[in-house]
Amino acid sequence: MSFRTLRRKAANAVFVGFCSIATVIAVTALALILWTLFSRGLHGMNLNVFTKETPSGLSNAILGSLMMCALAMAIALVIGILAGTWLSEFGGETRYGHAIRFLNDVLLSAPSILIGLFVYELLVARTIGHYSGIAGAVALALIAIPVVIRTTEDILALQPQALREAGSALGTPAWMVVRNIVWRAAGGGLLTGGLLAFARISGETAPLLFTSLGNQFFRTDLTQPMASVPKVMNDYALTASDELQQLAWNGALIVTLAVLAVNVIGRIIIAAKAEQS
Amino acid sequence: MTETLTPDTYERFMTEPPAEGVILRAQGLDFFYNGYQALHGVDLPIAKNAVTALIGPSGCGKSTLLRVLNRIYALYPGQKAEGQVTLDGEDILDARKDPAALRSRVGMVFQKPTPFPMSIYDNVAFGIRLYESLPKKQLDERVENALRKAALWDEVKGKLKASGQSLSGGQQQRLCVARGIAVEPEILLLDEPASALDPISTAKLEDTIIELKRDYTIVIVTHNLQQAARVADYTGFMFLGRMIEFGPTDEVFMKPKAKRTEDYVGGRFG
Repeated sequence: MSFRTLRRKAANAVFVGFCSIATVIAVTALALILWTLFSRGLHGMNLNVFTKETPSGLSNAILGSLMMCALAMAIALVIGILAGTWLSEFGGETRYGHAIRFLNDVLLSAPSILIGLFVYELLVARTIGHYSGIAGAVALALIAIPVVIRTTEDILALQPQALREAGSALGTPAWMVVRNIVWRAAGGGLLTGGLLAFARISGETAPLLFTSLGNQFFRTDLTQPMASVPKVMNDYALTASDELQQLAWNGALIVTLAVLAVNVIGRIIIAAKAEQS
Repeated sequence: MTETLTPDTYERFMTEPPAEGVILRAQGLDFFYNGYQALHGVDLPIAKNAVTALIGPSGCGKSTLLRVLNRIYALYPGQKAEGQVTLDGEDILDARKDPAALRSRVGMVFQKPTPFPMSIYDNVAFGIRLYESLPKKQLDERVENALRKAALWDEVKGKLKASGQSLSGGQQQRLCVARGIAVEPEILLLDEPASALDPISTAKLEDTIIELKRDYTIVIVTHNLQQAARVADYTGFMFLGRMIEFGPTDEVFMKPKAKRTEDYVGGRFG
């Protein structure tokens, strides 16, 4: 074997070696996080966590998170899908469209604490006058909307132009081509976008600090201050009490499992849809 | 192709169908893609209840011409047609006219099969539902009728609820034909409908086209000269955005008047 061949082989081995080491480091970190999360989170997990109010359990925080995330996703899906559709199907190539796309990309990486402050000014301080679940949901929605807009536009752009032409060739109005043909063809992708956005907001604490605040009681009234799991985790993790720290770990595990469950269900729905067609 | 044709360097040979039978007519049609001229003063008479084929080498403008006839090009802001295209004497290029109304009269089937992401039944019913709200029984009949005309009924009658995308390529293309004729257009435009199909599916589709001629007027763009010879009553040969020769298919293939047509149908170029 010539020197040149040997050198190439060595260079190749070094490169592949570095790639492998980097992967191992990344996966190890992830595994350690999950291990810690499960071992600490499972400890002390019992029915009380789900049925008792804070500080004995997390029932009020779980309910608050569910309600605020659901409302936030309802707002984000409507606005995000419509805006993403506009960018992909109608105005995306105009100057205004380019400006909107750029601003959306900026919002996509905006610090979530800023969004919380913005909603505090807009709703808590000026309009409603006090902390509320609605303000929390709006803050979460503002974080989810750019994610939904982006994924919607990307997914719709992937749909074949021939499909739109075939729809129009029947004399279908543009909005019906979008609603009945393009959205339907892109259904799985739109759902994935929604899941990504949900995963993004479900662990957010910062935007809730000045908006929903928190609530020690099990309340379903969105116009009042509302508890949330990430906020409770944030508060309890900083206390000196072992019991409260334990609850924070339980909350962390619950949020992680919820995101995992939503993703798994989403994948099953997408797979079932793909099976059909 | 760097050759340029000017009015001086080419002679047009147009053998028109009988004037009273012409349903659609293009006259002096120019077409532009963002300023690039793709059609130059094209004339095209389309005879009712006949099949008209457009042939010519790649890039000669035959698909472009077809896309003007139902104004599908108008989906793209950079594309513009000038000249006159009349359907039953009415100018269809008039921008104030509703393209949807035109497209309900002039249907189109594309090169690649484009089944909608819904059931076979809903694919065919889609267009009907746009224009009429029929009771279930009548809708069923219309769907069955369209599928029969497209020679697909026997293959799908047991699985109308299955997705249109689950069919084979040839079946998908006949589904698109069924969807196109379900709205009962007067004219059906076919843009290389068999180019993505195997020979058996192609033969079936050609039989379907010949059958459909009784009820519809058909314009087909094809790369396949034998296909044009088999199915078409009239053939137009295009080259570099011009209509070089138009006439009854037999004449264009057997006794072409233009040298370029003779070279092309004789297989010497293109």
